Amino acid sequence: MEGIKNKKRSSVKRRSELSYHFMVFPGLFFLILFSYIPMVGVIMAFQDFVPAKGLFGSEFVGLKHFIYMFQLPDIGKIIRNTVVIALGKMILGMIIAIAFAILLNEIRIKFMKKTVQTIVYLPHFLSWVVLASVVTNLFGLDGSVNQIFTSIGLDKINFLGSSKAFPWLIIGTDVWKEFGYSSVVYLAAITSIDPGLHEAATMDGASWWKRVWNVTIPGMLPIILLMTAMNLTSILSAGFDQIYNLYSPIVYETGDVLDTYVYRIGLVGRQYSFGAAVGLCRSVVGMVLLLSANSLTKKLTDQKIF
Amino acid sequence: MKRSFFTKLMSIVAAASLVLTATACSSKDTPSDSSNVGGTASDTGSTEKVSSDAAEERGTIHVSMGRQTLQNVTFPDGDTYEDNAYVRMTEKELNIDITDEFEANGEDYDRQISLALSAGEIPDMMKIGSLDILKELYENDLIADLTQVYDEYASDYLKSLYDSYDGRALANVTLDGKMMALPGTSGDNGPSIAWIRSDWLDQIGLDIDEDQDGCIKIEDLETVARAFMDKNPANVDNVVGIAFAPWLTSGDPDGTFSMNSIAYALGAFPKTWMEKDGNVIYGSTTEEMKQALSVVSGWFQEGILDPQVGTRTWDDITALLANGQCGIAFGVWHIPGWLLSNVYALNDQATFEPYVVEDANGMINCKHNDATGGYIVVKKDFSNPELAIQIANLFYDTLVNDASLLEKYPEVKNYVTNGVDGSSRPFNIEVNSYTSLLDDYVEMVKGINNELALEDVSTLETRTNIPAIQRYLEGDVDADNWSRYHCRLKGVGLIQSVTENNKFVWVTPIFPKTTSTMETNWANLEKLEEETFIKIVTGDIDVESGFDQFVTDWNAQGGAQIIKEISEQVQ
Repeated sequence: MEGIKNKKRSSVKRRSELSYHFMVFPGLFFLILFSYIPMVGVIMAFQDFVPAKGLFGSEFVGLKHFIYMFQLPDIGKIIRNTVVIALGKMILGMIIAIAFAILLNEIRIKFMKKTVQTIVYLPHFLSWVVLASVVTNLFGLDGSVNQIFTSIGLDKINFLGSSKAFPWLIIGTDVWKEFGYSSVVYLAAITSIDPGLHEAATMDGASWWKRVWNVTIPGMLPIILLMTAMNLTSILSAGFDQIYNLYSPIVYETGDVLDTYVYRIGLVGRQYSFGAAVGLCRSVVGMVLLLSANSLTKKLTDQKIF
Repeated sequence: MKRSFFTKLMSIVAAASLVLTATACSSKDTPSDSSNVGGTASDTGSTEKVSSDAAEERGTIHVSMGRQTLQNVTFPDGDTYEDNAYVRMTEKELNIDITDEFEANGEDYDRQISLALSAGEIPDMMKIGSLDILKELYENDLIADLTQVYDEYASDYLKSLYDSYDGRALANVTLDGKMMALPGTSGDNGPSIAWIRSDWLDQIGLDIDEDQDGCIKIEDLETVARAFMDKNPANVDNVVGIAFAPWLTSGDPDGTFSMNSIAYALGAFPKTWMEKDGNVIYGSTTEEMKQALSVVSGWFQEGILDPQVGTRTWDDITALLANGQCGIAFGVWHIPGWLLSNVYALNDQATFEPYVVEDANGMINCKHNDATGGYIVVKKDFSNPELAIQIANLFYDTLVNDASLLEKYPEVKNYVTNGVDGSSRPFNIEVNSYTSLLDDYVEMVKGINNELALEDVSTLETRTNIPAIQRYLEGDVDADNWSRYHCRLKGVGLIQSVTENNKFVWVTPIFPKTTSTMETNWANLEKLEEETFIKIVTGDIDVESGFDQFVTDWNAQGGAQIIKEISEQVQ
């Protein structure tokens, strides 16, 4: 009796889901076309790819390009730069976005809330090509920031030409550009927290701080973990367009990252295979990080992404 | 019996069908026959006439092309790259039909070539930008050997243009003894010139070149930079003495916004492969280069070099000049035409005087350019490869030397007088004689002094320059006159006078083919060089120890190996 009931329900369910499957199909088609089929290209990383000979005619050279990559004299420095900048952006960006979302949520005037939100996420829609000239004008040696420094009696800092300051400039400007946009997700997470919990906490005499710490943040935790895990996959890409538009040989020491380095090498030598090898390495690292983050979160919080 | 008859019949039918298909194939390939007609005909008389008769007989041949275009070229109404007066003239003269397989600007064009290369399918004729691509096309067996058609069809004048480079022009495109492309030529442009604001010099009463020979010392440059910074003639904020682009040095002798003229004056040839005492050396790693860097680094310490050097981009430096923050610009003779014109646009009182920087012996060091730039290749099994040579004859010989051609095609004459960009010609390359720059100058000066009638002037460029410069000298200072006066009379004039005074010391560099270690290590070595040099200049690294460390690293990271490979090439 029970079994029949279940069976009936599931077949009804399947029929009603049919339309959803249908709707997913175009997206799936493009996913396969543009993400799965090109994956065949990874074999390029194990070849000396010659365009005229094609993907299946080029000579296989095994791990040559991977070995070459790790023998490059600057590779250690470059990976370090990449990870430092990417991690800096991730951690700082996340803290500020979460803090901003919590604060924004406290604003009771709706008009005010919307206006602030729009203003802070506007920079997200500007490209780095445009913003780079803004940053250069602000932080250049004759820029506004340095003019303020001189007027209050500080020394000028050549942000764009100093190895020490450059990564911070990159991290800082990226966080400024993106925190508004990424706070949208956290804002949604906050609004999904049951108001009853807040009321109960208030009744029990919890201060605002206590409520943020014990109600809001635990409520946001699944989303925070999800975003962390997703961001971890891009740990080896520190933002090509931003750095490419701001860096110069003076700051290669701390500012040259995997993307910009591969771009320069690839451009000079038209080394398709080497580019593919680096890309593959990065994807593998990203995937390992994603999987381990997933199992770690499951262990720690009993929640997982997939 | 019957069966055997049947078998016979079958075999006859089969044989017949084979023959039929064979004829069908060859009829598709008829052009290969007509090329023979052209070949035999040319043996009997003057190439020009006979080939056009032969062209009549053989019927219209279709030619597909890959063409590099420019942005914002203005054509007369309705004309395009694919269909314009030059193309129509070519089609009519040679009885061909040109279509463009692809057209693209700048970097996009290189991408088109990469695509064509990766597909193994190239147009009948196309322009390519570099010898590396030529090598790649050759190794992939995609392009035709032009040796024979060049010998047979190239006009004497065209051959003389190439020969004026002492064989270097054709040697560049000769792979395994076969001429694989028709090269565009690139003559010497002289050294990087220091263009100094002469209106400022007058204003502050400074004379750095008493003997008026256009040669100054490095110390004179320093004097000017200090004076401009102290006196601030344009009365603006943030004055900069001397500004360089972030890459500091250039492989071109005339590198704009580079420190090449200081390096050359100290005997250093950065980014240059050359032979010294029988050994191949790389100019950036020499002791002289260390000296040059230490001079420039000293400028940075003193403050006459832009404190933002390294982060100041090309456009930023142009802005410095245009705003009057900086009055010294380094660059090739023609920068007044396209770069310093920005200064004129904001201040029509601005004038520049060109100077070359001399070494300790009062000589001007300079190096030769590679003889070629831009190449036309022909597809491997294209039926009529001689057409490429004939198109070159038409544009680089007949059009230049035979006035009747312009009478025959009034619309082409229109193009020439209105200055429609040369990239609209089927082949976007230049073929000039090695000495054309200075020859034109001598002719131009005669024209300006009215010693030579305008009709007798040989090139169109000079015919346009003469009246413009005359107008400038009479006080009609519009932008075009200003540019032509500064480029041609001042800039080229300086190169001419240094040449006349026998003050040039020319170095002939080695132009190596890309070696296997270069392919893998060059980008990295280039990074090492640029990073180290800029850090030395800004004082992040000590000149003495930093430069020696650079040379050691450079050699260890593949430089020594590359030198070995180039030495093998040279032998």
